[in-house]
Amino acid sequence: MTSALFDGYDTERFFDEAFDGGGDPRAHYRRLIDRLAELTPDELTRRERLRDAAFRTQGITFTVYGEEGDAAGGVERTFPMDLLPRIIPGDEWAEVERGLIQRVTALNRFLDDLYDGEGAVLHDRIIPRWVIASASGYQRAAHGVAVPHGARCLVAGVDLVRDIEGRYVVLEDNLRNPSGISYVLENRVAMTRVLPVAFSRYNVRSVNHYSTMLSRALGHVAPAAATGAPSVVVLTPGVYNSAYFEHAFLAGQMGIELVEGRDLVVEDHVVYMRTTRGLQRVDVIYRRIDDDFLDPVVFDPSSQLGVPGLMAAARAGNVTIVNAIGNGVADDKAVYAYVPELIRYYLGEEPILGSVETYLLWDDEQRAMVLDRLDELVVKPVAESGGYGLLMGPSASDEELADLREKIVADPRNFIAQELVSLSRHPTLVGDRLEGRHVDLRPFVITGERTEVLPGGLTRVALRKGSLVVNSSQGGGSKDTWVLADEPDGTADGTSTVADAAADAAATGATAVAEEEV
Amino acid sequence: MLARLAENLFWAGRYIERAEDIALLLDVTYHGLLESPPAEASAAWKDLLDVLQVAQPFEQAGRPLDDAGVSEFLVLEEAVPVSIISCVARTRENARSVRELVSSELWQTINAFYLELQGRDLRDDLKRNPHELYGMVKLRCQTIYGVASETMPRDDGWRFMMLGRMLERAEMTCRLLNVRYAQLTASEHAGFHDWVGVLKSASAFEAYRKSYKARMEPAQVVEFLLFREDFPRSVLFCLRAAESGLAKLGPLGQVNRPQRLLGRIRAELEFRDIDELMADGLHEFLDRVQEQVWMVAEAVADQFFRHELRSDLELHAHRTA
Repeated sequence: MTSALFDGYDTERFFDEAFDGGGDPRAHYRRLIDRLAELTPDELTRRERLRDAAFRTQGITFTVYGEEGDAAGGVERTFPMDLLPRIIPGDEWAEVERGLIQRVTALNRFLDDLYDGEGAVLHDRIIPRWVIASASGYQRAAHGVAVPHGARCLVAGVDLVRDIEGRYVVLEDNLRNPSGISYVLENRVAMTRVLPVAFSRYNVRSVNHYSTMLSRALGHVAPAAATGAPSVVVLTPGVYNSAYFEHAFLAGQMGIELVEGRDLVVEDHVVYMRTTRGLQRVDVIYRRIDDDFLDPVVFDPSSQLGVPGLMAAARAGNVTIVNAIGNGVADDKAVYAYVPELIRYYLGEEPILGSVETYLLWDDEQRAMVLDRLDELVVKPVAESGGYGLLMGPSASDEELADLREKIVADPRNFIAQELVSLSRHPTLVGDRLEGRHVDLRPFVITGERTEVLPGGLTRVALRKGSLVVNSSQGGGSKDTWVLADEPDGTADGTSTVADAAADAAATGATAVAEEEV
Repeated sequence: MLARLAENLFWAGRYIERAEDIALLLDVTYHGLLESPPAEASAAWKDLLDVLQVAQPFEQAGRPLDDAGVSEFLVLEEAVPVSIISCVARTRENARSVRELVSSELWQTINAFYLELQGRDLRDDLKRNPHELYGMVKLRCQTIYGVASETMPRDDGWRFMMLGRMLERAEMTCRLLNVRYAQLTASEHAGFHDWVGVLKSASAFEAYRKSYKARMEPAQVVEFLLFREDFPRSVLFCLRAAESGLAKLGPLGQVNRPQRLLGRIRAELEFRDIDELMADGLHEFLDRVQEQVWMVAEAVADQFFRHELRSDLELHAHRTA
């Protein structure tokens, strides 16, 4: 240990991102740790203030309700970004990247087979028909709605964790409306201001070209009927949505309109937006509204957020809805268990990324085993994401376990059980000391002409000691995530940095063009 | 641009102008009445309520018809759409819903104004030093436009905001003249300082004096506030500004309905002779101008914001195109 900051730092029995089992810094963390050793505690406090100021002036705050001293409108907090970045070496990332591309490619093939293909996966009995039919994210109404190039999942935010051996394991695929990308981009801006020297000692791959990647992919899935430059919009539920900041941010970055349902109108199966110069045709809708609220004609009739007739327009091939409707079927926790099989089935490859050992409770044998080991396993309702309704066996009370046992027996399709994954930890600033805190990683995978991954992603950190919950509303924070390019003498990643810079330039150009057209 | 956002900016422009004008009107009325007998004062307050078309809600609020009653009603009554506090709250609401279209500087200026009003004891301010309070409101409103002017691109968003502001101001100047002219010509002791008051409530006293020196004729005051080409609060100036903005908002080379309506009133103002006007009856004339400005605003809404009304026609055009 090189600094007082690390005094008493203990990796305990966990896989630590920055230190090996012997307590020595891993090679790719050495420069960061050396740099931190050069900073006095006062200096570190100053950096924290700098970070908070950066976030406040950029308006990146979220509102917490129901706290002490809470005015009627809630308390505005800055999003807590930890000062220590997470660092991923280039070769390690390359493997993760390949695994993500493989997984999302297979999932796109699966979704397209299911909704717009022959359902070969069902005929070949890879996955039981009733598992699909009973999945809550499954949308019968999406059958026969084609998506250009089969890019049904244009944006995926796959949640990864690392187990006790440091292997990357998929926790959730998030193929519906994954959020968090705005924090990835803003964290990077803040980080280069707060720790510029440490940042410059590494060759960190850029994330700034995200909006270019997204914008290109959205243009790529425009319906064949669209002539000229496709007209793309971001559809938001409105200012009161907790992710509104991100919706506005993305629309701004791509230089396209941020619309609400009431700004759109469908006539003769064509979608238009109401502008001051009349109705303007819309070709692609990057919607940040859930399936059920999208079109009151087909889904929830009481929804005010959607656009009547939108589904029919999509079915007629006049508009592309992104991500496609019905992707939630693949987010079902029971379907998750089949993903390794789907990869083998569609791609003829072995899965690169691990997944959590999952038990399906309608299977008598598996259920018996699970009920036997209930206090060692994690049980999750199949339809929820983000940790809702989850029960951790080891920390559950006897009543909770008995209650759960009853529920499982009554409705086995509604739950799955998983082996407990010991999440990796990362040094995190707690007061004036560093302590290990659990982290996960949400990289963003975009499918347009090809499937590609933004280097890095959102590292979420459970700020409470021992906690495994990384959600921002539950005391979670985030970290900037640095994916390293090889050293300047190495060639491969050197060129990709140049490519990233070119992408940045392209992004600026694209924005200017889009504005001229409006 | 999106119709919804354009409408929000249009109204943000209107509301902030309205807040400023109400402050001007209150300030001048209050100070003009300090030496007047109570009966005359309450008549003057009644006129002010009339001109703002809030006499009825005022009666329902059950407040006394005096300076404190009317000032509080027009400054801090949140339910009254013309009150300063509600104008500022609505400006903020409108600006927030178009957050990505206005500059952060502008948003912060609007927000700071709102927070200042929320943080103050306005009732106490009205008792102790109303002039300071009105001065603050005026300055804040003007700062908002200054910041907007220096930080926003001259795009359609800017044009809609200015259009809202100019129409509101034209209407307010008409209202001001309408109420004060009737009072002063009816009053036996109306004199020099009353006309100064009229000019001051349009921030026009100094500009007027430069043109007309020390002469203070009612007809000249009216002429100045209606027809003066180079004074930014005169009705003609506002209508011309609105018209040139409108010309850039529609399709090139086409004259739209709000433009036609506006052109008609503007032409009437341009060619009207002041003596003739005074002889024919100022009141009727002002009523008509006010009414037409209102119609322009409605036509703007039909043309740019309310597509329900025309979507059929337009879709027909799309189909046949």
